[in-house]
Amino acid sequence: MSAVIEVDGLVKDFGSTRALDGLDLTVEQGQVHGFLGPNGSGKSTTIRVLLGLIKASGGSARLFGQDPWKNAVTLHRRLAYVPGDVNLWPNLTGGETIDMLGSLRGGLDPKRRQDLIDRFELDLTKKASTYSKGNRQKVALIAALATDAELFIFDEPTSGLDPLKEAVFQECVKEITGEGHTILLSSHILGQVEHLADTLTIINSGKTVESGSIEDLRRLSHETSDPNQPASLEQLFLQVYEPK
Amino acid sequence: MSRPTASPASGSPFTGTGDALRFALKRDRLLLPLCVLGLIGWVGLYVASYSGLYGTQADLNSLYQSVTGNPALVAMVGPTDGLRSLGGATAWETLPVVSVISAIFAMFVVVRHTRAEEEDGRSELLLAAGSGRLATLTATVVITAGALLLAAVGWYVVFLATGYEADSSLLLVAAILGVGLVFTGTTAICVQVTAKARTARGLVGIVIGLAYFLRALGDTGPDALAWLSPLGWAEKTKPFYDDQWWPLILPVGTTILTVAFALWLLERRDIGSGLIQPRPGPARAHPSLLHPLGFSLRVQRGSIIGWTYLLFVYGFAIGAVGNNIEGILESSTSLTAAFASASDNIVDSYFASIFTVLALMASGFAIGGVLRPHSEETHDRAALLMAGPLGKVRWALGHVLIAYVASAMMMALLGLGLGLGLGVVTGDFGELGTLVASGFAQAPAIWLTASLAVLLFGISSRASGAAWGLLVAFVVVWSIASFGDLPDWIVDLSPFSHIPAVPAVPLDATPLWIMTALSAVFTTAGMLLWRRRDLL
Repeated sequence: MSAVIEVDGLVKDFGSTRALDGLDLTVEQGQVHGFLGPNGSGKSTTIRVLLGLIKASGGSARLFGQDPWKNAVTLHRRLAYVPGDVNLWPNLTGGETIDMLGSLRGGLDPKRRQDLIDRFELDLTKKASTYSKGNRQKVALIAALATDAELFIFDEPTSGLDPLKEAVFQECVKEITGEGHTILLSSHILGQVEHLADTLTIINSGKTVESGSIEDLRRLSHETSDPNQPASLEQLFLQVYEPK
Repeated sequence: MSRPTASPASGSPFTGTGDALRFALKRDRLLLPLCVLGLIGWVGLYVASYSGLYGTQADLNSLYQSVTGNPALVAMVGPTDGLRSLGGATAWETLPVVSVISAIFAMFVVVRHTRAEEEDGRSELLLAAGSGRLATLTATVVITAGALLLAAVGWYVVFLATGYEADSSLLLVAAILGVGLVFTGTTAICVQVTAKARTARGLVGIVIGLAYFLRALGDTGPDALAWLSPLGWAEKTKPFYDDQWWPLILPVGTTILTVAFALWLLERRDIGSGLIQPRPGPARAHPSLLHPLGFSLRVQRGSIIGWTYLLFVYGFAIGAVGNNIEGILESSTSLTAAFASASDNIVDSYFASIFTVLALMASGFAIGGVLRPHSEETHDRAALLMAGPLGKVRWALGHVLIAYVASAMMMALLGLGLGLGLGVVTGDFGELGTLVASGFAQAPAIWLTASLAVLLFGISSRASGAAWGLLVAFVVVWSIASFGDLPDWIVDLSPFSHIPAVPAVPLDATPLWIMTALSAVFTTAGMLLWRRRDLL
């Protein structure tokens, strides 16, 4: 297996603020990798470095073995991205936006597009200015999931979605994982990560705290807490962050 | 808010106005004082340059001789009846331009604190926290009126300190203040009508343009038309030669009525939407949207169409009036021989100055256009595009080139409008080609101004806004240089000083090529810097 994402000792400074302080993250091909951390811990900053939107101040970040800052355009042909806070062009309808975003990657598979629209129940004829947060999120999700990207980067993709649509998102991810796609999933919904991810990286204050397969991390937590009960992700998460 | 000023249980729609006032003042604690000081300093510069220029009665007489009865100047500035005194000359030159700038200032302040806040979803927070529906608008009107009043007091002090007659000075600043207040109320209405701050500003811009146009028509034709314009009312006070106080009733009454109407509308509409609701659109994208350049064009389309339409119609109207000017000049016997022999040139000079004014205006469009990537960046939409296989430079440069091409096109169409307006009335379309070329010749100055905005955008997202300050500086340089006295080196700093006064003089293309080359250099530098900097 080759690593799709390789982040090693990544540092990012914004003026005098250090947002990332030696962060490590490795995602192998075909994995669904959960990316957890409290608010402001640097998840979105890491993702923005990986997308080549901002430049690393130190350390290295590699996507498919290449520098995401220098080779942004070629790398972006191979990935799809959904941010946690989708802002759209107020005058365009949802349908127009999905088609426009899809066209950047050479167009969407019409069948898949229609299938996703049906499942997410999005009204395509509404102007983006009239969409709720959840509906804006659906637009970006459909535009991403209807592509045939090798890597999907989801940054809290279901924020604002109702529980039914969140379940639809989980189904969709399950469907594409079988096909060799790699997924980086940053989320605060631990049940979602537990359900989808094989491996996990937990970060805090711009540094990696834990990393490994969910099973390994559970065993680790096993040894330190009640040996008879398998730790849930929530227990694991709280264990990492709770003040000792 | 944590400390409601009115009784919390009162539930009045004005509850929380005091807090909204403090909040807005705190937010603009730097910007607003700077703008007011700028307005005062600008008028100060004017006044200082006049005392030097028209220090003696002989200077004033020669000014009077050279401009009296020139309908082109009457249309552009106003009636020349009061020009025999220094006060009259000062009022003639300052009142129209300071009034328009006050109106634009009122527009920016009101939109910034009302519709822009609502569009970004911030006003909901205040409303949900117990603030009354009308609190923000009321506070905004108070702040805008207060800022205008402070500026007026500053101008009054400037006039008194320079030795102008007190009563007439007071009337002059009151007349200008009146225009600012009328447009405070007008903007308060416009922000109720449209759901977007940008559209609201466009709407107010149209009203200001209309007011200017009606005043110009009224001053050169049927007087009644000038009485329909707030700019006409200000002029009818005739400060320094026939002090008339009673026309001030009109702006005072209009301000009260417009603000009351705006509050009435606000109490009846939904928060977050305008009076015009967005309609459903197509479920599939038009093929033109599926290309990055087509998409960028779509994003800019509304403002391109609006500006082009405005400039063309304005050009047509000016062209038609231009013929009228020619007629008056030919039939007039009171004009000096020198003046009459140059009559052809006077229409052309008039057109040349119209081109400069509108090129400055069109630079507003061009800056807005080249800074689209900046607004996409701050609204967090750029990341969605930049995460796709679309190069940063390719995308931003697309927006920049669209703005460059569109601004050149609209200036050429302005020339076409002028030529057609002139031709329809005279039956002679011979000037058409020259006028189109003259409009097009303004483009390099617009490009150069906009390319400086591109450079600022490349430096950082925060620096981008400074481009507007640059445009204001060019407007100030032009307005002072065209009437008063400025050191050459300052005048030379503005690109608009280097466009030949076509069609009044033969076209010398050298400065145009130099400015075009400089635009290319700044644009390239801006794009290189943009490629190297982080997305916001």
